[in-house]
Amino acid sequence: MGNYFSSMFDRLWGTNKELRILILGLDGAGKTTILYRLQIGEVVTTKPTIGFNVETLTYKNLKLNVWDLGGQTSIRPYWRCYYADTAAVIFVVDSTDKDRMATAAKELHMMLSEEELQDSALLVFANKQDQPGALSASEVSKELNLVDLKDRSWSIVASSAIKGEGITEGLDWLIDVIKEEQL
Amino acid sequence: MPPLDKKIKKFLKNSIRVAPKISDKGEFGELRAGLVSPYPQTRKDAIKKTIQQMTLGKDVSPLFPDVLKNIATIDIEQKKLVYLYVMNYAEIYPELCILAVNTFVTDSQDPNPLIRCMAIRTMSMIKVDKILEYIDTPLRRTLQDDNPYVRKTAVICVAKLFQLNKQLCVELGVLEDLANALDDDNPMVISNAIASIIEINSIDPTVIDLIRLIETHVSKFLLVLNECTEWARMTILTALAEYNSRDSLEAKDIIDRVTAHLQHVNPSVVLATVKVILKNITQLDPNQYSPDSKIMKKISSALVSLMSTPPELQYVALKNIRIILEKYPEILNKELRIFYVKFNDPMYVKLEKIEILVRLVDVSNIKQCTLLLNELKEYSMEFELEFVSRSIQAMAELGIKNGNEIFIAKIADIICNEILERGGGIETIRDDCCVALSNLLRCCDMNESMVKQICSILNSWSSPEDILTSDLSKCHYIWLMTKYPNHFTTVIEKLKTFIDNFTQEESMTQVAILLSVIKLHTRLEGSVLQNLFELATSYEAVDIDVRDMAMMYWRCFSIDDSNVEKDQLINELCNNGLNPLPRIDNILEMFSPDTLEKLLNQLGTISSIYFEPLTEDILNESRKRRSQMNQNIIKSQKLNDLQDIARNELLDGHEDVLLDFGDEDDSSSNMASSNNNNNTLKELDDLFGNITQDVKNLNISQQQSNTDSNQAPSANTTTSNTQDLLDLF
Repeated sequence: MGNYFSSMFDRLWGTNKELRILILGLDGAGKTTILYRLQIGEVVTTKPTIGFNVETLTYKNLKLNVWDLGGQTSIRPYWRCYYADTAAVIFVVDSTDKDRMATAAKELHMMLSEEELQDSALLVFANKQDQPGALSASEVSKELNLVDLKDRSWSIVASSAIKGEGITEGLDWLIDVIKEEQL
Repeated sequence: MPPLDKKIKKFLKNSIRVAPKISDKGEFGELRAGLVSPYPQTRKDAIKKTIQQMTLGKDVSPLFPDVLKNIATIDIEQKKLVYLYVMNYAEIYPELCILAVNTFVTDSQDPNPLIRCMAIRTMSMIKVDKILEYIDTPLRRTLQDDNPYVRKTAVICVAKLFQLNKQLCVELGVLEDLANALDDDNPMVISNAIASIIEINSIDPTVIDLIRLIETHVSKFLLVLNECTEWARMTILTALAEYNSRDSLEAKDIIDRVTAHLQHVNPSVVLATVKVILKNITQLDPNQYSPDSKIMKKISSALVSLMSTPPELQYVALKNIRIILEKYPEILNKELRIFYVKFNDPMYVKLEKIEILVRLVDVSNIKQCTLLLNELKEYSMEFELEFVSRSIQAMAELGIKNGNEIFIAKIADIICNEILERGGGIETIRDDCCVALSNLLRCCDMNESMVKQICSILNSWSSPEDILTSDLSKCHYIWLMTKYPNHFTTVIEKLKTFIDNFTQEESMTQVAILLSVIKLHTRLEGSVLQNLFELATSYEAVDIDVRDMAMMYWRCFSIDDSNVEKDQLINELCNNGLNPLPRIDNILEMFSPDTLEKLLNQLGTISSIYFEPLTEDILNESRKRRSQMNQNIIKSQKLNDLQDIARNELLDGHEDVLLDFGDEDDSSSNMASSNNNNNTLKELDDLFGNITQDVKNLNISQQQSNTDSNQAPSANTTTSNTQDLLDLF
């Protein structure tokens, strides 16, 4: 019977319910690496994601359903399928890829203009800080026009998925915002 | 566990469940919401309900994008269901399928071998070129997997991929991997690899050298044969049957190794084993496979054991036994009793058993013949007409095969006195008796008492043209009349009534009438012959052979009287019947030696049932059909049109559209293109219209070729009997 009580408690505290978080960004930004950094705490060798990865992880008593969608141009149109009921979006930017910063900005703003994502929080990872020539968080923020965002809690964190820097900080912030806004 | 406890548990479980439940109504809205629910339990329930609807035949394809989201899960049950769904509907959403690719690839490295199998199996089944583009790594990896079950699945997938995309399969070089799989340690993998190779070879014989592969792996096959499942044994034995052994030693070895499988419970394995043995036996010293040899006895007992299977399998076995019997007639001759018809056998088995009985009987053993005759007599007293008529024919066949005049007289006696007495009122029995009796007379035409007996019976039939119904029996009757005109009292009258009906008769009877009138022309008035000639050459619907024959005789008769050879010619034409006929010793249908050899190599296949060996033409035909069928892999390039349509629909305010295919900058042109909306819609219709049309065509052509192959063998066999009768004239 003990099992039943414990699972009952779980249900009362709402841990059974999963929060949906999307990891988006251009191809090669490091989305899959971040996902598995979060899930197993290790760097895995990745290949371009054709389709998506999804992992369920428990973080600070919350069950997170984290979706990592492929960033190829051909797959980007399908991001839209996954917008419904999304608590937060993690947008990953390759800080060294100055040429495609504009494309990233365009994709980001197009995504945020979707009605289904009006209530979602936004966390931007300025990834690949370990690489030489990476733009700083504030520079990336400027490139992406993040200041233009109104009515949305957002934050930008400099990170390195390979070294594991900045990931937990970013996620901590995100969880706090979600708890505040949605629970 | 007491049920009360269970009930309490269930109650508790349900009462504390937070996750919303899915009702049984199966409404799309509810299912869709369930599929993306934040509660894993609800999602799983929703998937189950969706699959339930799918199996009920409802089209649940609109849920595709939502179901697809659930493909990445650790729950193996859920994964299986989603895979099943994807397999079913992937072709409707070729574009969206690409979203599943990552999961397939990841799953093909899953620690659980079952999931690895599932991933590769599903992936190779989806007829979408975008999926196939990514099959490279997973397929290669699973082919080298540690787990034999995964490897076994992967080798099958190579054949599936080959069917879908031959070119890709060759480019990936997996065919070499497949050939290497024959050297695997696991019997399961080896057998599936050879099955896969045989399959590929049947689609395109040029890409893989099947014969060489079999040759190099014979010892391997023999080694694993004992450890395989029955299916695996089947494929391996089939492969072995393709192999020509080098010398008698090797042949002996192969035979010794496979002989044990003659006792297998699965008839298919038994037949495949027989096939391998018969293939190799010819390499041996002839006295090693004499009827009394050990190996022949083993084959014989294996075939006997097949007779204790269900009727459907018995039928197949009987058909195959008939082929084997023709090559090795002595093989079962001590087992005649096994083939006696049982009262509860289905008709098709009964008829086939009679075929075997008359072929099997040893004519030198008079006791056996008598026993069989009594048995056949019993059969002819049954009530099923088809069966009775077959047994009457069989009696004649038996008599002729035996050739002993006393025995034949006995049979004629039985037919005349017992069968005709009893069943003479039934048309078909009369037909068969008439045919049987004249066949018997053809065998011993000099036996006066028998001629008298038979002719007196036939003579007593007042109007044979009405009594006899079949073309064959009328033909026989007329032949008999002409052959023994003195035993028929009213031969002229009878012949005249036949002549009156000339135009209504079928061609065989027409020929018989024609020949009969020619032979008896001295007894008939001159005008009868002339009239018949005119009738046979002028009548529109007459068979071309009948017409030509009439023409020829007419010319003979119209030779100028002054020519001295005329009388001699006409005499020869008419008096042929007085000379002794070439004696017939068998009226059983036989295969040509060539056909027989081919059929022996195809024992246990569908060819052995139709007695129609698989020819290169049939193979080519089926290859063509198959490649046509597989050409409808969905090519995503064509679907650019579809995207336009979808975009237009969005503009028209359809809310159901789940996807935005669009790049934003297109939106201005959309307004303009909405005018063309109708056009593109038409194009879309055409696109689908073509596809369905193609599919229909395919089906039809398939049916046609099926019916063709059905009819061919029966047509071949039935004519031979009548042919030799006609040759006699």
